Amino acid sequence: MSQLVAQSIVSGILLGGIYGLVALGLALAFGVLNVLNVAHGELLMLGGYLAFFAFTRWGLDPFVSLPLVFIVMFGVGILLYLGLFRFVTKAEIHTRIKNSLLVSFGLALALQALAVRFFTADERTISTAYSSEAFTLGSIRIPIVRLAGLVVAVIAALVLEWILSRTRFGKALRATSEDWTRAALTGIDVRRVYQIAFAISAALAAIAGSMVSLGYSVSPSIGLGWTLKALIVVVLAGLGSMRGIVLAGIALGLVESLASVWIGGQYREVAALVLFLIVLSFRPHGFFGRAHA
Amino acid sequence: MPRPVASVLALLVLVAAVALGLSIGDQHVLTLATQSMILAALATSWNILGGFAGQISLGHSAFFGLGALLTRELWLGGRALPVAIAVAAVVTAVAACVVGIPMLRLRDIYFAIGTLALGVAVFITAGNLWPGISSLPAEMLRSYDFTGPYLFALAVLVVTLLASIWLAQSKLGLGMMAVREDEEAAKATGVNTFAYKLAAFVISAALAALAGSAFALFSVSYYPNFAFSVIWTFEAVLVAFIGGIGTLFGPLLGSIFFIVGRDLMPTNVDEFQVVFFGLLFVVVVLVFPGGLSQAAGRLLGRRAAKARTTGDRATAARGRS
Amino acid sequence: MLEVEGLEVAYGDLQVVWGVSFEVHRDSIVAILGPNGAGKTTTLLSLMGLLPRKAGSVRFEGEDLSGLPTHEIVGRGMVMIPEERAAFQTLTVAENLELGAYSLREKEAFGEALGEVFEIFPRLAERRKQAAGTLSGGERQMLAIGKALMARPRLLILDEPSLGLAPIVVEDIFGVIRRIRDRGVSVLMVEQHVEMALEVADYAYILETGSIVARGTGPELEADVRVQEAYLSL
Repeated sequence: MSQLVAQSIVSGILLGGIYGLVALGLALAFGVLNVLNVAHGELLMLGGYLAFFAFTRWGLDPFVSLPLVFIVMFGVGILLYLGLFRFVTKAEIHTRIKNSLLVSFGLALALQALAVRFFTADERTISTAYSSEAFTLGSIRIPIVRLAGLVVAVIAALVLEWILSRTRFGKALRATSEDWTRAALTGIDVRRVYQIAFAISAALAAIAGSMVSLGYSVSPSIGLGWTLKALIVVVLAGLGSMRGIVLAGIALGLVESLASVWIGGQYREVAALVLFLIVLSFRPHGFFGRAHA
Repeated sequence: MPRPVASVLALLVLVAAVALGLSIGDQHVLTLATQSMILAALATSWNILGGFAGQISLGHSAFFGLGALLTRELWLGGRALPVAIAVAAVVTAVAACVVGIPMLRLRDIYFAIGTLALGVAVFITAGNLWPGISSLPAEMLRSYDFTGPYLFALAVLVVTLLASIWLAQSKLGLGMMAVREDEEAAKATGVNTFAYKLAAFVISAALAALAGSAFALFSVSYYPNFAFSVIWTFEAVLVAFIGGIGTLFGPLLGSIFFIVGRDLMPTNVDEFQVVFFGLLFVVVVLVFPGGLSQAAGRLLGRRAAKARTTGDRATAARGRS
Repeated sequence: MLEVEGLEVAYGDLQVVWGVSFEVHRDSIVAILGPNGAGKTTTLLSLMGLLPRKAGSVRFEGEDLSGLPTHEIVGRGMVMIPEERAAFQTLTVAENLELGAYSLREKEAFGEALGEVFEIFPRLAERRKQAAGTLSGGERQMLAIGKALMARPRLLILDEPSLGLAPIVVEDIFGVIRRIRDRGVSVLMVEQHVEMALEVADYAYILETGSIVARGTGPELEADVRVQEAYLSL
């Protein structure tokens, strides 16, 4: 195996980890609330900027600021739910999905425009002391700042799985995502579940953004691209398993990388799109997931 | 309003528009008008797929961009203008056919997601393949006047509106609306729903390409991938919703409202304008699905011509017992 | 215990329930009977706050339930088991029962409630680790009832408990309903299976196209000629 291909594979896996992390939040919002938040990538972007400014203004290392980013964007998620998505969830499921798609589409562009206004259109990257350090496996470089994204993704998936299966709230989440009417009849405060699930989803996007601004770069326009990746991952993996989502993210990263090597980096996006269409055509419920209404 | 009267009126409006274009020297007004017409044409073309056939596509910018790119490249490459425009439209239509076949197998949100993915993928790829700015050569710039682009944009808008009107009354259009109202029911009565969806997809793509051509002729210099930007999709969808999705003139109404409103807004900051229109969009989607057409119809005391929500009523009726 | 007066429910412009009034007294089983589409389920959903009321009042133990969200109504002791598959398929029996107690305030009561449910439904104890989706129809219904009992209701509302079940299983279920009533939980049930319902109910109402057309005790209605002709195979 040539060195180029091997390095590609590694890069793809590392990037794929972040795809998985971004997808976790999107899956949570879609699975529990039946809301498709196209502005998810913009929340990632905001998280990335938050981490960036925490680093440049207050000197906070991005790993140190991770909890801060999580909490702040959790709050933003609550606000977005109360101010916007709450109204979308009033409709029944079919209309809800369509409306949330349109509404969040508008939100995405609005957030993007605001970001250009306040942050300028320049690309930002967090450059820490260890930004250029890497592990080496033979001739393959594994940059620490990119490995971090994969590690955070795996941890997040495991934590989410634990919450969903062991905690009372997690079970309420699963019940609500199966059938919110029955959940309400079981005595579960569905609005509260929605609120918190959405906020967690936003916070997850934000910590992904943190890792993106550390290992790659952020700029106001990256949102939609990340949302698309997350959507593709969710479609690949289905909604049943957090672990499955991270794995699917890694798979997507791999496919993109290998496609880059063979047909050229300019056509990466097309490769992802084709994979997406193929999976959707043959397996509308994804590889790992249970059927979702 | 009886047909012959409406047609005469429309003709008068058209003549007036042409005359206006030829007489006004004010380049700013011409620019604004041209932009409105390009957006109106794009929105009307989207409306054929999204409003008539009920397939909400979020990747419309791909066809607009392709039309613009091909027209620009061929025109600046020395080909005659009509040839460039025709080739752009035809190639885009073919591309739409190729892409549409797998895409249209997707339903509802998956279609929206798939087309969004298409739009973004094409945008990024275009940016990769044509990173350099595209500028009109110096000789053209010297005598550049917006009257030509204005008239062409007007022509494109007229063609698009005529296509829309014709479709609304044709069997093809009725088939599309049947798919929109209840696809399963239509299939059950033997309608080839896929064919109707594909027809809507290809027609709307070809018309979008024309709008793209108008944009290519109108722009002095721009980055080619700008024409592929999702902003175009958003503005077209926004304007179609605001004006009244599914209606004939809703998208046109909406674009006038949008472009004029944007110009009159007290704030010059582009970004706040986007926020404002984003909010308006949200309000329209959640509260006023019929948009301006619905509001205007109510004011005039009659139901807006063929105002429809995007199949919501069918769904609601189906879900309750 | 439950007083419903002049209830009117509509789906947009389509009105389904027209001025329905009924009562459920303590320690009794009340049935609302009638054909498909009469508005029975709509009435129940409205009681539980899942559908808005156009008009009318609902008082539970003297308290007006207007405007209360569903989970709070459950917290006050009125619990509904919806039609079919009331349990969460993707969760285990144990998890379902655990969730049933979601609205319980005292945690100690949980153990007690669980014990009672396993006493009434020993088969659930056997299957506690199984996913609810793998249970048989009758077992799923038992789980649904058990889950509802975990919330320690004072009034249990059942929507078509016999639906989709074999006659023998239906008899079991109705036997369970009697036992529940004997333990001090009132029952309101909506049923299409008129004969069996009249045998078990203390009082019943007949709902047709959104209005109550007949009311009375079980024997009274059984003796009513109209009821006999319309619903009983006599």
